[in-house]
Amino acid sequence: MTGAVPLQQGMLPDTIANLLGLNAYGVAGEIVAALLGAFLIANFLLINTAFAGPWAKRKITAAFTDRIAVNRIGPFGLFVIVADAVRLLSKELIVPDGADRPAWDLGPLLIPFSALLGFAVIPMGSGLQLADPETGLAFAFAASSIASLGLIMMGYASNNKYSLLGGLRAVASNIAYEIPLIVTGVSVVLFTGTLQMSAIVEAQQAAFISVAGVTIPQWFAFVNPFAFVLFVVANVAEVGRNPFDIPEAPTEIVAGYQTEYSSVYFVLIYLGEFIHIFLGGAIAATLFLGGPAGPGPAALGIVWFTAKIWAFFLFTQWLRSAVPRLRVDQFIEIGWKGMLVLAFANLVLTAVIVGVLA
Amino acid sequence: MIGILKGMATTMKHALDGKTFTVEYPDVAPEVSPRFRGVHKFSQERCIWCRQCENVCPNDTIQIVQDDQRNGEQYNLHIGQCIYCRLCEEVCPVDAILLTQNFEFTADTKDDFVYNKEQLKNVPWYKGIDPLNSRNPDRDAWVGEGDGEIDYQ
Amino acid sequence: MSLEEPEPDAPAPVEEQSPDELAELLGDQVIGREEHLNAPGYVIRPDAVQDVLSTLKNEAGYDHLSCVTAQEYEDRYESIYHLKKFDDPTQEVSVVVPADRENPVSESAEPVFRTADWHEREAYDLVGIDYDDHPDLRRILLPESWQGHPLAKDYDQDRPQVVPLRENANPLQEDHRGEDDTDTMFLNIGPHHPATHGVLHLKTTLDGEQVADVESDIGYLHRCEEQICQNGTYRHQIMPYPDRWDYISAGLLNEWAYARAAEDMADIEVPEYAQVIRTMGAELCRIAAHMLAVGTFALDVYGDFTAIFMYAIRDREKVQNILEDLTGQRLMFNYFRLGGVVWDLPEPREEFFEKTRDFLEDLPEALEEYHDLISGNEILQMRTIDTGVLPPEVAKSYGATGPVARGSGIDYDLRRDDPYGYYDELDWDVVTEDGCDNYSRLLVRLREVEESAKIIEQCIDLLEDWPEEDRTIQANVPRTLKPDDDTEIYRAVEGAKGELGIYMRSDGTDKPARFKIRSPCFSNLQTLPEMAEGEYVPDLVAALGSLDIVLGEVDR
Repeated sequence: MTGAVPLQQGMLPDTIANLLGLNAYGVAGEIVAALLGAFLIANFLLINTAFAGPWAKRKITAAFTDRIAVNRIGPFGLFVIVADAVRLLSKELIVPDGADRPAWDLGPLLIPFSALLGFAVIPMGSGLQLADPETGLAFAFAASSIASLGLIMMGYASNNKYSLLGGLRAVASNIAYEIPLIVTGVSVVLFTGTLQMSAIVEAQQAAFISVAGVTIPQWFAFVNPFAFVLFVVANVAEVGRNPFDIPEAPTEIVAGYQTEYSSVYFVLIYLGEFIHIFLGGAIAATLFLGGPAGPGPAALGIVWFTAKIWAFFLFTQWLRSAVPRLRVDQFIEIGWKGMLVLAFANLVLTAVIVGVLA
Repeated sequence: MIGILKGMATTMKHALDGKTFTVEYPDVAPEVSPRFRGVHKFSQERCIWCRQCENVCPNDTIQIVQDDQRNGEQYNLHIGQCIYCRLCEEVCPVDAILLTQNFEFTADTKDDFVYNKEQLKNVPWYKGIDPLNSRNPDRDAWVGEGDGEIDYQ
Repeated sequence: MSLEEPEPDAPAPVEEQSPDELAELLGDQVIGREEHLNAPGYVIRPDAVQDVLSTLKNEAGYDHLSCVTAQEYEDRYESIYHLKKFDDPTQEVSVVVPADRENPVSESAEPVFRTADWHEREAYDLVGIDYDDHPDLRRILLPESWQGHPLAKDYDQDRPQVVPLRENANPLQEDHRGEDDTDTMFLNIGPHHPATHGVLHLKTTLDGEQVADVESDIGYLHRCEEQICQNGTYRHQIMPYPDRWDYISAGLLNEWAYARAAEDMADIEVPEYAQVIRTMGAELCRIAAHMLAVGTFALDVYGDFTAIFMYAIRDREKVQNILEDLTGQRLMFNYFRLGGVVWDLPEPREEFFEKTRDFLEDLPEALEEYHDLISGNEILQMRTIDTGVLPPEVAKSYGATGPVARGSGIDYDLRRDDPYGYYDELDWDVVTEDGCDNYSRLLVRLREVEESAKIIEQCIDLLEDWPEEDRTIQANVPRTLKPDDDTEIYRAVEGAKGELGIYMRSDGTDKPARFKIRSPCFSNLQTLPEMAEGEYVPDLVAALGSLDIVLGEVDR
């Protein structure tokens, strides 16, 4: 897309431009509107992350482990978010001796950047979507895998053997699970015939089955549950959560690539990881759960969308409480010998389903 | 797969039943059992300065200073060094030193943990419990001397 | 083990040799005889150690080198090899090896028993005996720069041990280890690492992610507990310290090790009532210790701070509350006294029984949960089955005991084989698993918790019906205890981690002249390279977790 192309109708920048009368300023107005839109979306995600990281994660873990968690500062302990932010940002930034400087600094920036970038094409409902290119799905996958570049940069530049092992593990796991993830994603494309995110959401609006007056929409999770399970598993591995948190593995390689990071960089890495989980949830929701679809008026779309990505977040935390970590060789083996085969089998299966439905 | 699902069901059950087993510590004082051994309390009125506690202490936590008439002058106890074995209470024939259930003490330096007899006297009871009652019934077992020679100081 | 009903397939009784037969077997290698309270002692020439030990091992069946004690006399040094049989640990023999006062050299037993490796290094480190033919005679507990041998007679306690930095390797210098072999990478795991369960340092050489070589570096927590005990009186001052060896709530088990050795040495009879209380308390401690072992093992395998760890801690907390009611402390109990225990059960007794019964009633449900979460989990099985394999022969050679040995199918439990306390009156079983892997060791611990619960239940029943006038908790023990001069004894009990033995020698005073601790963790940790080499780093961590070491006991 070039700047000369007018803003896509119905997208967030377009709405902003109309609202603020920026259309009169030509390209400059469009850029300002696009930046404002990106700012809004990014902040929405950062707010979600702020809730998820310092507060919700602690509360959820505590619930699973029969403990009382953050409840002292503010209502439900919510102000711990502020306290944590101050605490983390005021810590000393320790730079290890022999760190490979530009790479060491760029790594933590890349991670949240790549995850946020992926959200540019996600339709969040209620008119919240920054862009809707025809290659939307490919863009989302591409953007989210930039993170592995950040991981290996961090692992390599830290001048620490644990970090190096973590970085290498991160790359190995990303490659092993990215392919099944995308192949499973492609099976959805077989249904829709397009990579455009809004079209994928659109394709899931139709009714699938009507049972006793309850209409189940044609979400692909219902049409092809097998693909959905595959996708979720590969997704958990892709965002590096238990039982696939091989790159971090605190009890084995301490914290992998993030061992040497403190203070602001630590915050950036954590922000990135949480946004990454949300992005994983967003892609899964878009492909399989009808995106922002849900009962009630269309304006509620953002609410349903948020609920879906939080459900994915909760699911990762649930796994974390109960499922042991795989060993690195088993993990890679499952990726190449198990998931990949299943993903292609699923592709064939989907082709059959598409044939039957058509 | 069944095993994994069972495990996940177990943790989810715990998450949903809402039971917790931790306590909000400074707000809720934890229950300690009546025999619990904490910071010492010393009574100069009772003490006969026999120095048995000083003698039995395994790691020289108690230091007693007497004048040349063998009258007690100082009774110092390093509660930071103490291993809370309660042997001093066990040997004391007059209950002059005993361990309260108070387990909270702080100081800015290590030296501040050396309590003199005034500080030891002022150690508060925990929840107003006198722990001696719960430990008392068995004191006889020790006081009843063995067959061997008795070496009083 | 019930005495009433003999097992259908009871193993044939182990052949026992009389002291004279053994002396004949060893022939002229024996230059003298000694009488230890537990075993006959044979004094042999310092250059015949390997011959004598291999004769005893291969021809007389003494296949368990339990402990090596070194000590210094006025006129000589001495190493004592305490040998036992895995099949019948009541058959013991001590091989006494004197060494020259001026030039203490003695032959190493390492080629016969692998476990002698670390034990002799410790003897060299603390006492100063040189072992010929030892593959790697370095200090083990103290830093390389240490001056003198702390348990030797001429050791200068006041000499400052702070050496100038130049005498130590610069910790920040470039590390080139492993660089000449570019295929491997040297990695320090610990002493500050989430999975080393304390301050253990593993010098690991990695080939890719696989462990090519691993060497444990211990001693970070060394306090010379042996010397502390040598400075305490038998009657009172030693008892608080055993709690601090295996400090993970196994305190009563450790106290029993000392109590048993000292009581046998001074010939003190413990009242039956006190024995029942001891048995109950010790098994409560075992449950607490195994709960923590299982919880932390799960933590090592699961990764993050997981639910199973918290559930194990929650159940351990219940045990600790019971122990707190009984002993007045949560970890450092100091509850045993020579000749009994310090207190009777807390009043009101009914409340205590009820609390304990409640715990025992809830236990099967809790264990069911553990099985759902840990042992039944397919991923965990993938991770632990056939990893960290320790074949029984290797385990025996390293002197592994406790759940580690029983996980390798070695049917060895001192509670049954060398009965003490009230164990032989009660009905319970020794748990063994034949898998030899991490999973077996986990299962052994989980099943042992059930057996311990059985023992506690029987003890509670006994205590409840015990006639009130017959509740003697302590024997009549002199206030100052002075065992006869030159009495030597080695006694062991089944601690939470294995055979916890105490060697004591008296010199007629009220303090032991030599106090040696045979720590099960020390021997068990030695097997780590056997289990981990060729495995992946995660399996090294899992194997370490399944050994369940406590550094307080390894380093003492």
